[in-house]
Amino acid sequence: MAVSRYATEYDAIVKTMQQYIDGGKQGKSELMRPAFHPNASFFGYAGGELAIGTAFLFEWIDKNGPAPDIHPRFVSIDILESIAVVRLEVDGWSGAEAGSGARMSDVFTLLRTPQGWKIIQKAFHWYS
Amino acid sequence: MSEADSQRETLESWKQIAAYLNRSERTVRRWEASEGLPVHRREHQKQDTILAYVHEIDRWSRRRTRTSVHPSSASDSESPRSAASDTLSWGHEPANNYLIEHDAITRTIDCYIAGGRAGDGELMRPAFHPEATIAGYCQGIEYSGSIEHLFDWVKENGPAPNIHPRFARIEIFETIAIVYLEVQGWSGKLAGTDSRISEVFTLLKRDREWKITQKTFHWHDT
Repeated sequence: MAVSRYATEYDAIVKTMQQYIDGGKQGKSELMRPAFHPNASFFGYAGGELAIGTAFLFEWIDKNGPAPDIHPRFVSIDILESIAVVRLEVDGWSGAEAGSGARMSDVFTLLRTPQGWKIIQKAFHWYS
Repeated sequence: MSEADSQRETLESWKQIAAYLNRSERTVRRWEASEGLPVHRREHQKQDTILAYVHEIDRWSRRRTRTSVHPSSASDSESPRSAASDTLSWGHEPANNYLIEHDAITRTIDCYIAGGRAGDGELMRPAFHPEATIAGYCQGIEYSGSIEHLFDWVKENGPAPNIHPRFARIEIFETIAIVYLEVQGWSGKLAGTDSRISEVFTLLKRDREWKITQKTFHWHDT
């Protein structure tokens, strides 16, 4: 991929991811919904049970409320044509659902659609 | 039966082991491959002759039942590790746990590849979580939805015996993993000849097995 195109795609991916981060920080799923593809997948163990589906995620974000101290780190951003894979390490989660000081490893797959880069998949591991 | 008696008792075929554990042969073979079911092989024989000791099978079975299947339970993120070393106490060291997970993940992907090569969606089904989904682009058209679409596609495409997969990346984070696969040589009714696809799999660890929860693909134009 030509450097100029790489930078454009990279920045667009980060912009989509920022919508997700903002939604988490403010405890508002409506901020992060536009980042997700309508058929997005969501899987991960939360509090001992297996959580499946973006409806669970959005509800969790709204129930959790603001988490202003979350510190997300972009560990990797891989771009393979119409697919991108983003790894975030996030600590500092707080809120009604998260408790305090929780850390998560998040893996996102994004798809390059005509509407921009959209999260097609999120999986997470929650370190208790 | 006394302990001494069961120490001598052996099971001398997959059929006998399956009957003892009240499972199918396929299941007990899978348990040996991915969950440390203690089966000894008689290497000096020409055939695949195996031997299992009832007392070892019983011990494995007891440990398997006792271990929690919820990785993020109170015993925290260490429980997947302790679960693996629990069932593999016959000479395996905890330091190999990463490798054990790595191997289990590649076996799951191999199951997917086997299904693709055979043109048989049912053969690859066990590699996937029942609620898995697929998404991706082929010739500018987006496909996304239930993983059933993949199984139907594979069946309609027919066999692709020349698939050559290359693992470009395997990353493991306790209960989730991601695999990048570069696949060359897809052929068949729908695939054409010698197509190349980049595939990204997300996997989830469930009951000590890894299941694909989502597959994203990019079909390269020829």
